[in-house]
Amino acid sequence: MSRIELKKLVKRFKDTEVLSGIDLDVPEGSTLVLFGPSGAGKTVLLRCIAGAVEQDDGEVLIGEEDVTDVLPEHRGIGMAFQNFALFPHMDAFDNIASPLTACGKTADQIRAGVDTVAKLLKIDHVLSHTPKALSNGQKQRTALARALVSRPKVLLLDDPLRNVDAKLRFEMRLELPRLLADQGATVIYVTQDYREAMALGDRIAVLDGGRIIQNGTPEEIYRRPATINIAKLFGDPTINLLDVVPQSDASGVYATLSDRRIQLDPGLSGNVGRECVLGLRPEALSFTTANDGVPVTIEAETPFNEKAVTLVTTLRKREILVSRPAETPAPTSGTAHITIDPSDAVLFDRQTGIRLDPNGTTHTAEKAA
Amino acid sequence: MDHRSPVERILRALALIAIVVFFMFPIFWIVLMSLQTNETILRSPPSMSFVPTLKNYAAIISGELDSNAGTMSIHFMNNLLNSILLSVFSVALALLLGVPAAYAFARHKFRGSEDIAFTLLSFRFAPPLLVLLPLTLYFQALGLANTYLGLVWVYQLICLPLILWIVRGYFEDISPDIEHAYRIAGHGWFATFKKIALPLAGPGIAAAGLLAFIFAWNNFVFALVLASADKQPVTVGALAFVTASGIQYGQIAAAIVMSIAPTLLLALWAQRYLVEGLSLGAVKG
Amino acid sequence: MSDVLLDLRQIDKIYNETSRHPVRAVKDLNLSVTQGEIVALLGSSGCGKTSTLRMIAGFETVSSGDILIKGRPVHKLAPAKRNVAMAFEGYSLYPPLTVEENIAFALKSERLAKEEVRKKVAEIAHLLEIEDILDRYPGSISGGQQQRASLARALIRNADLHLLDEPMGQLEPQLRALLRGRLKHFIKERGLTAILVTHDQTEANALADRIAVMEGGALQQFDSPLRLKDRPANLFTGTFIGEPPMNVFPAHAEADGGNLKLNLADGVCLTYPASAFSDELKARLLASDAFVIGVRPHAVKITAGGHPAKVYANQWLGDQTHIAARFAGQTIVSVRHDRAHHAPGETIGIDVAAHDLHIFATDSGRAFSHGGALA
Repeated sequence: MSRIELKKLVKRFKDTEVLSGIDLDVPEGSTLVLFGPSGAGKTVLLRCIAGAVEQDDGEVLIGEEDVTDVLPEHRGIGMAFQNFALFPHMDAFDNIASPLTACGKTADQIRAGVDTVAKLLKIDHVLSHTPKALSNGQKQRTALARALVSRPKVLLLDDPLRNVDAKLRFEMRLELPRLLADQGATVIYVTQDYREAMALGDRIAVLDGGRIIQNGTPEEIYRRPATINIAKLFGDPTINLLDVVPQSDASGVYATLSDRRIQLDPGLSGNVGRECVLGLRPEALSFTTANDGVPVTIEAETPFNEKAVTLVTTLRKREILVSRPAETPAPTSGTAHITIDPSDAVLFDRQTGIRLDPNGTTHTAEKAA
Repeated sequence: MDHRSPVERILRALALIAIVVFFMFPIFWIVLMSLQTNETILRSPPSMSFVPTLKNYAAIISGELDSNAGTMSIHFMNNLLNSILLSVFSVALALLLGVPAAYAFARHKFRGSEDIAFTLLSFRFAPPLLVLLPLTLYFQALGLANTYLGLVWVYQLICLPLILWIVRGYFEDISPDIEHAYRIAGHGWFATFKKIALPLAGPGIAAAGLLAFIFAWNNFVFALVLASADKQPVTVGALAFVTASGIQYGQIAAAIVMSIAPTLLLALWAQRYLVEGLSLGAVKG
Repeated sequence: MSDVLLDLRQIDKIYNETSRHPVRAVKDLNLSVTQGEIVALLGSSGCGKTSTLRMIAGFETVSSGDILIKGRPVHKLAPAKRNVAMAFEGYSLYPPLTVEENIAFALKSERLAKEEVRKKVAEIAHLLEIEDILDRYPGSISGGQQQRASLARALIRNADLHLLDEPMGQLEPQLRALLRGRLKHFIKERGLTAILVTHDQTEANALADRIAVMEGGALQQFDSPLRLKDRPANLFTGTFIGEPPMNVFPAHAEADGGNLKLNLADGVCLTYPASAFSDELKARLLASDAFVIGVRPHAVKITAGGHPAKVYANQWLGDQTHIAARFAGQTIVSVRHDRAHHAPGETIGIDVAAHDLHIFATDSGRAFSHGGALA
């Protein structure tokens, strides 16, 4: 009843194509995170789904019904905007109540609906304030309350946590999945924060330059990113990317770092001699006392919340970041050795940036599942 | 940077006094004159102390003026009424037409919208004399000469561009997301216009209306040419005093004070909105 | 014995002193920075950190107190005379000069050969990944690139003190970890002394040797990142530093045979052998009506026999898992560096070791115990 489908959606502004043929299928009741850098077209996409903006080509279907010609007020959608978009001349109560006043509910029903959702989001004590008198966190929750109050079948949340301080953002990241699950709606959630994406999404669709580059579960996106750019966007510290040319001999397929060999999956033998980029996640690297690890020089160590991150350089001055739990001891200066688990390594084609899989297949940008 | 030197403060005060005197002196003088008899005004050398009198106002209100040449009948109050009627109806019509138009220009970027908007604004800049002769002929032909309808229509040339330009800026200032949010919540476009756009642009609309009122009130040329004595506003009506033999300065002064009082009081009362409206409209336009 | 480079003595800053509502932005600040040290001024907006930096630079006057650089009072001197370099939050690049010219401008007073200047600019541009925009103008580059250019301009000089106002706020998230490492290395290699202002505790922790945590104009604690984490001076510092934030619970103590029990809400009772706490601490705890205990997320252990708690969120973030559960009437967050598979709705066992406890006074928020002993 509330499955969202987009078929070849195109939107142009002046002469540029902001959305170039978007295909998406969000199963009913699930949460899809729309992830991408600023300017990728995420907000435009949400506006097209909501009907606030008309697309130039393609279809929008909600609950298997084509809503392309349906006005926004009839699409049954709840939307929370990035900069809140609260009505400045109404108090928080009236702001939240506006979806209920539109469908002719009685004053009692309206009061009950608003009170329920306000209590849930802990803003019941500021309902009589105007937006000017609310803190950023309260504004954000008011905007969210307004989107949720009429229990819509479809929820579009445009980076609702962006303008909120770090502590509250962390709290909401923990609370939101449960809140959304209780609502039972189909949700499209936009964010630029990869942690939010992985925490909230059943699936993540990465949008860049108006196209969906990869659509997969958080696990798929993190462990098998389709391109170098996606690998860089997920993970903090960022994935280490090293130019290598795989070789092979009796021992198997390998890449060379600091004159030592790193064994790769034998299925990658088809890439021997090709210019590649090796992706190594900082948490997959560890310091070892054994001498058969890759020798490196330690440049600097930076604490990073519950972890510690060390910047090291190889024999040829290539930079690598190694991260570990803060409690684990490690050398802090001089030379050291690091080990790499080959199953954690990802290989990309240097020219195209696309991931190379074992057994000769190259990843192609996945269509909507 | 935190403290102002005393010298700076004195200089600032002096400058402010000078400016106030420069602008307010004519008004102050006129008000003074309206409270003096002709003899006091013409006395040489001029004297500061006098006995104020309301005889001039009484004369204007009753319509009977005493002069050296005898009693004249000047229906100044009629002129005042005409000014009020013309200005109020012109502004009302301009708001009725202009506010929705401004909304359309702000929100719906249709083909040619910029060109049409600019054309409408250009009417402000065009000298009235340009259109006056053709208008007189048309008005005669259409039977609109010397009618309130005709004058209110012509006054749109003054009021409408102003309203359009200022109010459009105010509508553009409202974040489109706020209106989208109201639509998505389930309300149609008219409800959005009524409940969201209008209240939020309220100060701008009020400012534009006020300004339009002032400009309409002050208009001279259109009323002079397109109206006859019984429909003329105060701007033209004041001429009557000049042609009469034996100029009664005190009575003219009283008439002038009554002419400028409404707009002056209105502007004083709403000055905050006017400044806000003018500056924002200018920046956006 | 390192030399003291910067000394702030009883610094007060009051804005709008003569008006009806004066604002005391900085209250009685005492701080000294040694040569070659990186210090961070950390706090939320309005805490006084930016005012302090601007006073050190000379862009704000000092309402009372002294600022000494290398023993010399500078608080009455113009910025140009203080020999400090500053990277501004608003970048403040000169629009008619290219990025390269902007950075080189900082070296004007050092009168170096052209080739030498070009080499130095190239070096720092490479460090901050702005080599490819050296010939562009500030108006045509992104916010993050402008910020790096501003940083380069501040660091290339040989000044007594380098002041960096929110140096990495606009930086693309992918570059942050790498640039932090490079920046730290650059500063340490040249023995520069730097003070940076930030609201991001992750950034402060990564770069600084010592962090001055400020709130409401007052200095809360001035310590190394490690000591701030292990021995926060008060509840504010304890919960401000660290992400995810420290878990805090109101509690009161009672003795039970050879054990000490800490009673939390909802009937949750943490039992420890009396030997886990020092005698003075035990006495203090039993004498208090109530206090607040804090435990960091990584110290919250999930064990089979622990106190039951219902999981309501399990979020895998790639390199760590955050598990949130209902515990003692509140939320408790546990961080694990592996992938944990406790689904929402499942009941897990929570355990906290005595040496991971921080204890704070309820009224003042002052910490009086870390790890089983008095602070």
